[in-house]
Amino acid sequence: MSMVYDEYGRPFIILKEQQAKNRVKGIEATKSNILAARSISNILRTSLGPKGMDKLLVSPDGDVTITNDGATILSQMEINQQVARLMVELSSSQDDEIGDGTTGVVVMAGALLEQAEILLNKGIHPVRIARGFETASQVAIDHLAKIAEKVEFSQDNLQPLLTTAKTTLSSKILQPHKEKMANIAVQAVLDVADLERHDVNFDMIRMEGKTGGSLEDTRLVNGLVLDKEFSHPQMPTVVKDAKLCILTCPLEPPKPKTKHKLQIDSAEAYEELYNQEQTYFRDMIQKIKDSGANLVICQWGFDDEANHLLLQQELPAVRWVGGVEIEHIAIATGGRIVARVEELTADKLGTAGKVEQISMGTNNSRQQDRILVLEDCANQKAVTVLVRGGNKMIVEEAKRSLHDAMCVVRNLVKDNRVVYGGGSAEISCSLAIKKYAETVTGVDQYSIRAFADALDDIPLALAENAGLSPIEEVAAIKSRQVKENNPTIGLGLLSLDEAELKMDGSKEDHTMDMKELGVFETLIGKQQQLQLAAQVVKMILKIDDVISQGQYQY
Amino acid sequence: MAAMGMRPGIIILREGTDTSQGTPQLVSNINACQAVADAVRTTLGPRGMDKLVATGSKATISNDGATIMKLLEIAHPAAKTLVDISMSQDMSVGDGTTSVVLLAAELLTKLKPLIEEGISPTRMIQTIRQTGRLAVDKVTALAVAVDQQEMLLKCASTALNSKLISSHQDLFAPMVVQAVTKLHEAGNVEELSEWIAIKRIPGGDVRQSFLVEGVAFQKTFSYAGFEQMTKKFENPKILLLNVELELKSEKENAEVRISSPAEYQSIVEAEWQVIYDKLDACVSSGANIVLSKLPIGDLATQYFADRGLFCAGRVTDGDMKRVAKATNGSIQTTTNGLTEKVLGTCGWFEEKQVGDERFNLFTQCPSTLTCTIVLRGGTEQFIAESERSVHDALMVVKRTIQSGSVVAGGGAVEMFVSNALRKHALEIEGKEQMIVTAYSKALEVIPRQLCENAGLDATDILAALRRKHAKDGDEARWYGVNIEEGGIMDTFALGVWEPSDNKINSIQAATEAACVILSIDETVISPKSQDPGAQASGMMGGGGGGGFGGAMSNAMDIATSGGPRSGQMAPGVSYMKGRGGA
Repeated sequence: MSMVYDEYGRPFIILKEQQAKNRVKGIEATKSNILAARSISNILRTSLGPKGMDKLLVSPDGDVTITNDGATILSQMEINQQVARLMVELSSSQDDEIGDGTTGVVVMAGALLEQAEILLNKGIHPVRIARGFETASQVAIDHLAKIAEKVEFSQDNLQPLLTTAKTTLSSKILQPHKEKMANIAVQAVLDVADLERHDVNFDMIRMEGKTGGSLEDTRLVNGLVLDKEFSHPQMPTVVKDAKLCILTCPLEPPKPKTKHKLQIDSAEAYEELYNQEQTYFRDMIQKIKDSGANLVICQWGFDDEANHLLLQQELPAVRWVGGVEIEHIAIATGGRIVARVEELTADKLGTAGKVEQISMGTNNSRQQDRILVLEDCANQKAVTVLVRGGNKMIVEEAKRSLHDAMCVVRNLVKDNRVVYGGGSAEISCSLAIKKYAETVTGVDQYSIRAFADALDDIPLALAENAGLSPIEEVAAIKSRQVKENNPTIGLGLLSLDEAELKMDGSKEDHTMDMKELGVFETLIGKQQQLQLAAQVVKMILKIDDVISQGQYQY
Repeated sequence: MAAMGMRPGIIILREGTDTSQGTPQLVSNINACQAVADAVRTTLGPRGMDKLVATGSKATISNDGATIMKLLEIAHPAAKTLVDISMSQDMSVGDGTTSVVLLAAELLTKLKPLIEEGISPTRMIQTIRQTGRLAVDKVTALAVAVDQQEMLLKCASTALNSKLISSHQDLFAPMVVQAVTKLHEAGNVEELSEWIAIKRIPGGDVRQSFLVEGVAFQKTFSYAGFEQMTKKFENPKILLLNVELELKSEKENAEVRISSPAEYQSIVEAEWQVIYDKLDACVSSGANIVLSKLPIGDLATQYFADRGLFCAGRVTDGDMKRVAKATNGSIQTTTNGLTEKVLGTCGWFEEKQVGDERFNLFTQCPSTLTCTIVLRGGTEQFIAESERSVHDALMVVKRTIQSGSVVAGGGAVEMFVSNALRKHALEIEGKEQMIVTAYSKALEVIPRQLCENAGLDATDILAALRRKHAKDGDEARWYGVNIEEGGIMDTFALGVWEPSDNKINSIQAATEAACVILSIDETVISPKSQDPGAQASGMMGGGGGGGFGGAMSNAMDIATSGGPRSGQMAPGVSYMKGRGGA
């Protein structure tokens, strides 16, 4: 911040470390903020839609992520600019609430800001622009509710859910396997869903990734998968009708928490101590055996002695299981967590139909992976998706994609209203807003219309990413929507593969009825997108003064 | 000056001390205040803009005058006065933090020409004080009492008008009013912040914000076994503890010496017994929910889960107190001798998922005073600003209840008072006339700034307002700026209401601040005591500086009370003195 001088030429120091502070004021501030935010949305723009491209991100410690999930891209980019960070939070907020549309929301906000800049140049007050946007977003949200259709589904009729999941997956790496993956996602959600209460407890769906195999090998386990192995290589690898004893104490001699010292002053005493320990181990194992358990899950470690005894007693055991996993096992198998072996009783045991240790990878490798699969648990409401893939990046991306798909299915379980995708909903809203704008007098008319223009940006980006001529396609969709009075006409990108096969060079018509194509998105997701975008844009537009601690400005 | 320069300088002040005095000093202070006011000027009113202040990696986006002033870290000593009045306005009223700064700065600006003309600041201070009182009287006379519910709602809406969440007034205003009215009915408005909690959960949409009649807090850190607990209770008994429920060594630094392995086991047993006794006491007290300020360990979690209880450890102090108040329980520091009496209760308890967070909700409490406002929003900054705005609204509502009367906003009151003062000024003889006129002009800053922020023609509108007020007198008393369409209108009819206390407080505070600044004619800034590392460069040649420091305050007093100054001052200052004082 530069110095201010009074009329006697004396400099003021008004703020602490004034020289080091940077200040941008007025319309200049607004514009530079818009620029920053838009540069973020431009990054994500190419990732939008089924033909969106992926980004490769390298973290400071060299980890590589390849993804086209907006929230993931932004969170890994380590953005420092304050206003740009708002965009990051915007997408993570969409991620938290809805789980899908994280790219769309940022692209939408960027488009709105682009429009806002034009209006600013016309001399419209930023707050009025923001207010126009808010009004328009409300109109759009109401309009969406109007054109939304209810999707009926039940345990026997899962087709609608599958279709939605497929739409989500079609923009992801899993696209070739979307049939199978959609099935997994839907099944996983429905397994834990409470259809009566429209509630889905996501905590009960676990996602385990293992490198190796192909994406095809991904499967849904009706139970749990633990990244652990039995504590002794000679233990049986399969336990049928397992009764699990879940311990949170180590199988070691007990230790008081108070600082203590045991003094042994003779060989006899030493002998006695040894015997005591032995008895202790035997007692413990015996108690476990007596309770009827045939599998031990332990949060802590075992003494070698205990491990040996467990093997002798034919008690397969797993050690060093994390707290969260312990909890999941307890819930899934209906067992109780036991803090002391003394308290173990038969009714505290959990049950699982089959516990199996599976080896993955080649056996001669030292790092062969073993996992434990607990299937057919007492409580059916716990599932795990075991994701396989050629390399770590693919596994990670597949996990994210599946998570997105599950979120969408969950949203449908919560609220079964949908709008159609392929840009059809946006265009329909855009048309509705334009119509509404004409009824508004004054400056607001302009900003409301600008919102409609911004909405067109989503189908434009979709078309652009697919290598089509954006303006032509959007114009075609618009005219068909108006002509046929059908809000479900959109950009049919999914059929492009087949279209290309024709190879006859004739120009394909990409405007299609999304309803027939079965491309839809949840209503709440779409509404939230518009609302959040309008909110953040308002926040950005309202800033007219940026005061920051300029670094390295000496 | 020339004569002075020939004498050897007498060193009175520690080297590096910055002093300046007299009228130029006063003028310079006023300029500094103006610069500060300029920083927050644009945030006023419904078309006010926000500031983004980035300190380190943390950014704050705010429209709240007090918040911005705090973050600016103003160093100028006189300008700091403005920060202080903004803070005090925030503390006592909660709203109007920008306008008070503007008013004070404007008052000084309008008085500046008079100072330069040589009117004594002392006289000014006296007159301003009187005028301030007069202005307050006018506002008091103007204030009207209206139906409470309506009054509160409108005041809350007005307070929210300039904020980011202005388009969601319909949601927040009733929420805020409901919360405060509840407290008021029980006569507890004073302890507002203790009773009403604002929780923020990033994610979701603003419109998903809600009010919980009772206590709500985020799920605390939990251990394995937590998920197996009962998460819903009807009429639960709630035990509030300040006890750690964990298996651990009882006393630090204790040491046990055991001579035989058999005893070893008994020590282990004893330790377990200690924790089990505690847990047993909790369970047998009949409680369904156990809350503790200190951690509740995994063992305890599982123990309670097994027995169908719910527990949460590491509950924050504020939440704990609110639960205690809401449920009529009392916080225990031991598990011994728990009786039915210390247990609290509420109608309904559940753990609920809100966005990405899980909340413990205690509702239908016996004493229904406590409320929790849960805010949602797209980004962290958005929620933070929402929280400040809601807090402002809460304070305004509280203030409205206390003052019981309202005035119209939109610059209407200021114009009315300004008009009255202008008339009053004409009846005064002497220099005071000028001062009162200046005061009356200064009040116009509020409507003017409102216009400017809204992009309206301030001069035209002010002229129209002045005319309206001068012509129609009392009838036009509610005429202020019409932000929506430009021009002027009856803002009272529009529902732009503010508690009269708010206005009175800002007039008083602004007047007071102006007086303080006017009364300063000398600033002495001691050089910063340097840290040893910087000494080499900073204190070169200043040998005796350290030892001198202690005597300085006396020396300074002597110096201030009169006499010529040595050439020790910075050259700029001494020239200034020569020119300005003439």
